[in-house]
This record gives sequence, structure tokens and C-alpha cells, in this order.
Amino acid sequence: MNNILKSTKLDFSLVKPYIKVIGFTMLLPIAFAAINRSILTGVSFAMCFIAMTTGYTFSVTEKNSMERLYGILPIKKSEMVTGRYLFVLALGALALVVSLITQPLVLRAMGESVGTLDMISAAIGGLFLFALYTVFQIPGYYKYGAIKGRVFMYIPVAGFLATLFFLPKMPADNPIVTTVVSSPVLLIGLVLVLVVVMYAVSIWFSIRIMENKEM
Amino acid sequence: MTNYLEVTNLSKSFDSFQLHNISFTLPKGYIMGLIGPNGSGKTTTIKLILNMLKRTGGTVKVMGLDNITEEQKVKSELGVVFDTNYFSDDWKVSQVEKSISVFYPNWDSQKFADMLRKFHIAPTKKVKELSKGMQMKFMLACAFSYDAKLLILDEPTSGLDPVSRDELLKILSEYIEDGEHSVLFSTHITGDLERAADYITYISYGELFFTGSKDDFVDMFRIVKGGMEELSDDLKNKAAGIRTFPTGFEALMKTEDISGFSNLTVEPATIDEIVVFTSKKGDDYE
Repeated sequence: MNNILKSTKLDFSLVKPYIKVIGFTMLLPIAFAAINRSILTGVSFAMCFIAMTTGYTFSVTEKNSMERLYGILPIKKSEMVTGRYLFVLALGALALVVSLITQPLVLRAMGESVGTLDMISAAIGGLFLFALYTVFQIPGYYKYGAIKGRVFMYIPVAGFLATLFFLPKMPADNPIVTTVVSSPVLLIGLVLVLVVVMYAVSIWFSIRIMENKEM
Repeated sequence: MTNYLEVTNLSKSFDSFQLHNISFTLPKGYIMGLIGPNGSGKTTTIKLILNMLKRTGGTVKVMGLDNITEEQKVKSELGVVFDTNYFSDDWKVSQVEKSISVFYPNWDSQKFADMLRKFHIAPTKKVKELSKGMQMKFMLACAFSYDAKLLILDEPTSGLDPVSRDELLKILSEYIEDGEHSVLFSTHITGDLERAADYITYISYGELFFTGSKDDFVDMFRIVKGGMEELSDDLKNKAAGIRTFPTGFEALMKTEDISGFSNLTVEPATIDEIVVFTSKKGDDYE
């Protein structure tokens, strides 16, 4: 096992006591999907909620003064940071999978039709929103800590509200938007590239913050 | 003699505190006490050795390896105990092993289990359920489980009762018995060092005051006592520190300087007295 995976495993150990809360957070959006009768809304809520739990690792570390443990482990700071991103991504991926399994079941039971394209759109939208929230949250937590930086926990809420506000105002006749939306492959490719670039930049910032930080 | 720790001209500047050119070496198989009053720079020195702080100058070598360029190799050979535990309070003892053992290729689960038995630590207990003394032993058990060659302890005895302190010193003495392990032990409870330490490094307000063998350190000074009428200017000039009472005085003097004061009472100095007098704290000290 390489050091990044070891670090991810350590993060999993940190949030183990919160597993029930995280599980509840993954299931709660089913209600939102049911109320709105839309898997896109349900998955968006799910990714927003799960992004709010990414601060748990930081708060457990800070509460227990575990920066001293990280300071003595034979692991580079860059590996430690990348491991945390991997943990957050794994958490997001799990929430996405849970949502994509449970929400269509509930919606279909309610008589709604949920097609493959709906699920792909929801998955891509959810992934993008989750990435958008966490790429700002994680460097914020590294810079200010979980207590001083608890405002970063609410980025997903602000981001979600902003999305709801700005999405209807986007020009539907914009040729770039029309081209991207009309081609699912292009949309998926674009979102994936954007997500990778956003995470790469965010990881770079977080590593810089950690390398300059004194424990 | 192989040195497990070589600190050369180590410096660190903060806004309100500076550590200046600290140099010392700890040979393999020995215990070194890092002493000094609170705020003198002991923890800063340890954090610089662990690369938890960025140094302003100097070098640190652990088992011949630079502590920054070879950080991972260095840390896999280091065991560290702080004054309070650094694991999650909600972890069970067994979960700590699962979480951190993966980072140490030399981790020996059997040894860990043996250590837990030896220290009477139940694997099912949560870290927060362990007493302070037990938490300290638990951190040691972890370090022993990957056969850390150099143990660094930062104020491990602060807050421990005398029985736990005695147990710790016994554990450290056993740890270096085979001649393959060393201990750097920061403390302001210098009584512990009288028993356990082979070497002393004394830092006073960011400056290195002494580094060398404990016997040399203790032999370097004597306590001179006398009445107020015997407190001459010559004695005042030569004393490293003087404490006056209504009935007389006590002075810490270099052993080489006491020959001129044979009329006074001369006693060996304890480490505690050397630290107290040289720190020149309190209204009664000059």
C-alpha cells in the first residue's frame, strides 16, 4: 500500500465514529428527490450534504491535536494531502452511488420515470457540484483549520443556492451552451476535464499551504 | 562512537523568541536530558528535529540522515512521546494499531500485544479512557512496536504521579539496555534526570548553556553557603547565581572558582539548583 492510500485509510479511521451521521446524510436526500420528483435535484442535494461532511477529518484532527501525529508519521505532507483528497472523493463517489441506486427506486415506486439519460445527467451534475464545493473547502480547512474555518462547511449550501439562482438565468440560446448540452459525450468529457483540473489546482494549493504550515 | 542525533547550530526565529545556534550530539545507547526553564526552547528544539517547524539555520542529522531531505527514513526510526496523547480520543487501542501500523514497515503486532500486556493496557479500551500515565505508556508501546531506534520524549513526566514517573524511567533504562537505542528526554523535572540521564543539554532562554555528560555538568558547579558578611564582591563576580536570605546567602559557583573561598561551606549542586540559579529568576536572586 502506498503512502497516499495509507493516509486515506487513516482518514477513514478518523471519521469512523461519525459513520452513522454520514450514512444518514447519504440517505436523507431521498426525501428531497421524492418531494421534487427529480433525480437531478435529489442527487444535487445528496452531493451538497455529503460535501458538508468533508470537514469531519479536519475537526477530529484539530479536536485531538492530531497534527502532532501527522508530524511524526513517516509520510510526506504532499502524500498526506493527496490522501485526504482521495478520501473526500471516495466519500463523494459513495454518496453518488448510493443516490443513483436509492433515488430511482423511490421515484419509480412513486410512478416517475427515470431513464438512463436522467441518471447520467444527475451523476455528472452531482459530480461537478461536489467538486466545485470541495475544491474550495479543503484548502480553506488546511489554511484556517476546522474551527476557525467552519464557514467553509457552508460553501455547499451557498453554492447550491447560487446554482438554483443562476441556472435559470443562463442564456439558453448561447451556441457554446447549446453545443455542450446537446452532446452528452461532450458534456461528460468537459465536466470530467474540468473536475480533474479543479482538483489538480486545489491539491496544489493545499500542498503549498501544508508545506508552509508549522505544526 | 556512533551518534544517533547530531544537532549543529540549530536556529529558529519567532517574533517573540529566538533559538540560537543549538548544537549537541547524542551517542547511540544513551539517554540525554534536554533541560531548561519553561519557554527556554526545549519543545522548539524537538519540533525542529522532527521538522514540524521550519528552521532558520543549522542542521539536524538522525542516525546520519538529514532530517529534511531524508525525512521519511528518519521518521520511520523515531519514536515520539509528547506530554499529551496524539491519537483520536474515540479510537480504541486496537484501532490505533490498525490506523498507524501501516506506516511502519517494521511494525510487529506480536510485540505490540506484548507491550500492551506488559503495560496493562486493554486493547478494547478507548484512548480517552486511559489515564495520563497509561496514555504515555501507550505511546511508548507504539514506538517500541516498530523498534524505534531513537526515542524523543517532550515533557513526558509533566502531570504524572511519582509512581508513573518511576515506571517511565525504568522503561527507558530497559529500552537502552541493549546499546542499540537512544533517548532524548526533555523535562523541567530535573530529579528524573539525576536517575536516568547519561548526558545533559541545557538550553536557557534560547541559548545553549551546556551540553555534555551529566557527571561533568554536576561537577562543573558547587553550592557555596555563608553569612551575609562573607558575601564579598569577588564572590559576587565569580558566582553564576546568588540567592540571599536575611541570615546569609547561597551561591552557585564554578568548581574551578571555589578554591579561593575555602572558609565557606561548599556542597555539591543538584541539576535543579544549577538550572534555578543560572536562570536567575525571582527577587531573591542576583
